[in-house]
Amino acid sequence: MEILKLNETPKRTSRNFNINNIKLENVEIPNNIGKFENLALIYEKKNIIVSEDVEISKLTYGLGEVLEDKVLKNSNVTKKLKINGKIKEDIILEFKLDKNNTNLIENIEIIAEENSQARIIIKYESEEEILGFHNGIIRVNAKDNSIIEIILVNLINKKINNFISIENTLSANSKVDYKIVDFGGKNSITNYYSNILGENASNTINTIYLGTDNQVIDINYIVELRGKKSNVDIKAEGALKDIAKKHFKGTIDFKKGCKKATGNETENCMLLSDTAKSIALPMLLCSEEEVEGNHSSSAGKVGEKELFYIMSRGFSQKEAMKLMVRAKFNNLLEKIYNEKIKEQILTKIDDAFNTNF
Amino acid sequence: MEELLQIKDLHVNAENKEILKGINLKINKGEIHVIMGPNGSGKTTTANAILNNPMYKKTNGSIIFNGEDITNSKTDEIARKGIFMSFQSPEEIPGISVTNFLKYAKNKITGEPVRIFEFREEVKKYMDELCMNSNNMERSLNVGFSEEKKKKNEILQMLVLNPKLAILDETDSGLDVDAIRTVSKGIQMYKNENNAVLIITHNTKILSSLKPDYVHILVNGKIVKTGTGELAKEIEDNGYAKYK
Amino acid sequence: MPKTNVNEINRNIYDIKNKDNYDFKIKKGLTEDIIKEISNQKEDPEWMREFRLKALEIYNKLELPTWGPDISELNMDEIATYVKPKTKLNSNWEDVPEDIKNTFDKLGIPEAEKKSLAGVGAQYDSEVVYHSMKEELIKQGVIYTDMETAVKKYPELVKEHFMKCVPIYDHKFVALHGAVWSGGSFVYVPKGVKVDIPLQSYFRLNSPESGQFEHTLIIVDEGASLHFIEGCSAPKYNKVNLHAGCVELYVKDNAYLRYSTIENWSKNMLNLNTKKAIVGKNAQVDWVTGSFGSKISMLYPMSILNGENAKTEYTGISFAGKGQDLDTGFKVIHNAKNTSSVVNSKSISKNGGKCTYRSLVRINENAKNSKSTVSCESLMLDDISISDTIPTNDIRTDEVEFSHEAKIGKISDKTIFYLMSRGISEEDAKAMIVRGFAYPISKELPIEYAVEMNNLINLELEGSIG
Repeated sequence: MEILKLNETPKRTSRNFNINNIKLENVEIPNNIGKFENLALIYEKKNIIVSEDVEISKLTYGLGEVLEDKVLKNSNVTKKLKINGKIKEDIILEFKLDKNNTNLIENIEIIAEENSQARIIIKYESEEEILGFHNGIIRVNAKDNSIIEIILVNLINKKINNFISIENTLSANSKVDYKIVDFGGKNSITNYYSNILGENASNTINTIYLGTDNQVIDINYIVELRGKKSNVDIKAEGALKDIAKKHFKGTIDFKKGCKKATGNETENCMLLSDTAKSIALPMLLCSEEEVEGNHSSSAGKVGEKELFYIMSRGFSQKEAMKLMVRAKFNNLLEKIYNEKIKEQILTKIDDAFNTNF
Repeated sequence: MEELLQIKDLHVNAENKEILKGINLKINKGEIHVIMGPNGSGKTTTANAILNNPMYKKTNGSIIFNGEDITNSKTDEIARKGIFMSFQSPEEIPGISVTNFLKYAKNKITGEPVRIFEFREEVKKYMDELCMNSNNMERSLNVGFSEEKKKKNEILQMLVLNPKLAILDETDSGLDVDAIRTVSKGIQMYKNENNAVLIITHNTKILSSLKPDYVHILVNGKIVKTGTGELAKEIEDNGYAKYK
Repeated sequence: MPKTNVNEINRNIYDIKNKDNYDFKIKKGLTEDIIKEISNQKEDPEWMREFRLKALEIYNKLELPTWGPDISELNMDEIATYVKPKTKLNSNWEDVPEDIKNTFDKLGIPEAEKKSLAGVGAQYDSEVVYHSMKEELIKQGVIYTDMETAVKKYPELVKEHFMKCVPIYDHKFVALHGAVWSGGSFVYVPKGVKVDIPLQSYFRLNSPESGQFEHTLIIVDEGASLHFIEGCSAPKYNKVNLHAGCVELYVKDNAYLRYSTIENWSKNMLNLNTKKAIVGKNAQVDWVTGSFGSKISMLYPMSILNGENAKTEYTGISFAGKGQDLDTGFKVIHNAKNTSSVVNSKSISKNGGKCTYRSLVRINENAKNSKSTVSCESLMLDDISISDTIPTNDIRTDEVEFSHEAKIGKISDKTIFYLMSRGISEEDAKAMIVRGFAYPISKELPIEYAVEMNNLINLELEGSIG
């Protein structure tokens, strides 16, 4: 089987560092994908128009040609959401892979019209034992003064490869806020690109990831700032146990003209076993003078003092670790107001600590 | 009495908003002036406008110092003519030591070479007076200094550079009683009949040991009342309400 | 703020060109015959001759890097890889030919030797023209000589270490170096000997359209210590010159080595240098690097911490002006328990210059209880320059403390105003802030070099801000 080379960074570094892309062997891309019908789509009909005529132009970055083509030409779910006005109720897209719907290849487009506002929850899950395939594209076009919050939750099982490409365009004064929970997938590969064009536009990304067993998580966030006084804030918190592996590539690119723009990026990885591996490449690229950019990344094991403190209150080591991970993820979790989904995420964290520890 | 500074009908914008709306002020040699006012009244803007901070735009009016129009002079020129400003939040400058900075600034202001040994002794003397630890002389300017240390360091610079007019912008804010006493002592050491002090503050603590000749009340970009030290007491008792 | 852009700043002393007055200059290009000819000229022993030919073979097989600055303008057919100056190796300064001596005099080399160095080596084009060391160090068994002499005089020591730390298949320019290397310094500090005053080698490339490929091999034996300084410069020519040196450092158990570099190559130089250190148990290597010159630099000193408790510190600054693309950084591999690394990198970009910080921190499975702290700061002096930070952090075990921080920005207007309010002009204020920014690096250098570095900063800032 051929090797898939995916998720190239915007700037290459030495090949020996093994971070310019990710190479996956034995990835079976199904030819005959069949239908996907297990989608629950909940939305307020008054101000949202849903259609199927999604954008099929190429992505600026994306995961790579093979997977991208598959979505653009051969998807089994296409949804275009046009949002007008301020939407009060959450828009929810729940995809559940099951034995009748094993392959999901979706192309989603969200257009936030001027002055609109909405929160959108996109959740991927699967039945525990099935084999399948997931490969999707989400595009967001945030027009002037729009405010879009996207909660993206990946809880699919550890037998299914999870591929996802995100592309956002931000116009003046728009706000696009992502909360990403990346727990599922055998290999979970995410490409995220934001083009911040408008003045005062702001993009925040809060991610939590959890890798267990032999999961591989490859995250490639690329944010280009072009608008004056635009802003990006990337925060990723993660935990890895067993022989899980994570690549975090985060690029903030200050393009010429983005005067007074600011960009911050932090990534923090908690290593819960001595066989877990964490690679980070936090890039700051800058061709403009009047900007402020910061990044930081750190990695290490759970603080022994904290662990001891919790254990001294009667918790087992396993429970203490779980508590620490939950505490770490809490900042993001408490902002997910959908109790049902939050509960599901917490259960996944618990599960991770109940198996082969 | 000899006139040192005169501000005439000064209008100043900051971030495209008019902050000062026609200020008039005259300071003679030997005088201590105080500008008091609530938050956002334009106190710090006044100080910055005198030093011609490019972030504040003058739209009208003039500033005369020692008979010379300095309205549009560059900040460093104004400093060399003899105006000093103690900053509300002094900048941290890594890699430049306190003494080297003072030496360099002294040389720029006097235009004369600085004799290192005497200079160090002088700085040390002032540091002792201000209860500053002279071990800090070799530390990077203001880097990691506490608020108190930063403010004392401003007063130290004032003493060493010995300007004709010292503007103290909220030098007392964030300081405890002892530190305010030390700062006041520094001001008293500096003050003589040939120079002048302009104190900008929103409380009256620092005025207990310094006797101001004039107190100006600045509200909403204008001086609404000028009086003597008594006025400060009145403000202490009643606040600014009646001037708003 | 108004800015005056000056095309070429006066690099005064660095730019003095001597007539290309060589004894022998190999014809341009890179063929087996040329390598054999270099080998003949240098009277290599057989093993070295074979080594060179093997390296050429590898060079021809390896690809150019697929990342970093564009070095496509480099055409090896246009580069003379060996230029022998018209003199032999001298141990008396007076014996060095006048024109070469003048150059080094102006660069302050003999002056520095008198004042603050324990030994000096001076290379002019492809050969070392002067070497000397204080008598007492000779007595203690310290060896400090040119590489050619070392190959002949200490064959066992050289054979054991030569291109073992940096193997020829590392990358294309290392292979090139292996084929055409010439000159450089060899230092051996015996067990327990502490060399208190630094040794310095200065490399000067005078000949146009040529390359310099010096090899520096330093062995600091168990419990010994050394500070080694390397300086480089060249006058500017219109065509490309190439520098592909190689530095191999062996810091044995309990030993200490500080390796300082002030690099001020001319702005037509491609500087593709490789430096690596292998660090033993309880040993430490510290790198201090100032990169000012060259058109393109690709330089990433590397520490391999092989012994328990081994330490390394990297303190580096690069300053890129018009037409410069300085891609520099640091690599560290933690290969044993309780190892630690500290990285402090600063860069300044102005006048369209580009600085890239590129790095690797790898903490391997066996490096339990290791620590690594990385801090990068970049200063942008205008809006036509570029500053990129590309760090790779590869952590393969859990018992580590790893943190990385980077900042990018300009000089704050508030800070400039503060300094100006103390009577300092805008230009002086900016220069002061930049010097302060560079201070953590300049303070690591001996005073003469710190002064030189500040002069270089002033030189670079002149005419570019105000």
